[in-house]
Amino acid sequence: MGKRTKIDARGAFCPGPLMELIAGLKLIEVGDEIEVWSSDTGSAKDIPEWVAKVGHEMAGIEHCEGYDSIVVRKVK
Amino acid sequence: MAGPDLFIVLCSGEHEKLQMAAMMASVAAVSERPVHFFVSMNAVFAFDGTAPPEARYKGGAFSELIREKGAPDAIDLLRQGKMLGDLEVHVCSMALDVAGWDEDRLVEDLFDGALGLTKFLSDAEGGQLIVL
Repeated sequence: MGKRTKIDARGAFCPGPLMELIAGLKLIEVGDEIEVWSSDTGSAKDIPEWVAKVGHEMAGIEHCEGYDSIVVRKVK
Repeated sequence: MAGPDLFIVLCSGEHEKLQMAAMMASVAAVSERPVHFFVSMNAVFAFDGTAPPEARYKGGAFSELIREKGAPDAIDLLRQGKMLGDLEVHVCSMALDVAGWDEDRLVEDLFDGALGLTKFLSDAEGGQLIVL
């Protein structure tokens, strides 16, 4: 199982959480994961859409109190 | 599969339109879709490197909300799009001429040079063109 890096993007507005995720993906190895915490209500739909488009994998999404926890696995 | 290249012409100096253009450009660029961004007319003034953001951005009610809430800065978004994706930003050579500016007057680390409209439109053939 790969390493998981957490990005707390709560308080950032669209497309801030997505951009932080993409910047984070550049820094990790294939197989590792990023967990983004986002209070931007669009992220729960936008990030999975971006992940599917560019060919990474969703590893999970959880709706928490006031934010979403979105986990993305780098596959390429 | 990537869509056709996206060509965005930003003429308006309104902060809200600049913000929307920067959001579209940056998100498309990081989604493996090449983006070509062309700044002309009043929009040029929003990229004045000699002025602070609060003086560069002219807008209405939503502009105030963008500032109050701390939404991402439009020029920072464009820089992120360049850094993380495939985004070129050009300034209209005519607009610079009319304003009496040279490229050094523009914000740093963003522009890929001045370009004429004819060349931009020629490049845009086969792409998707959005004008704001």
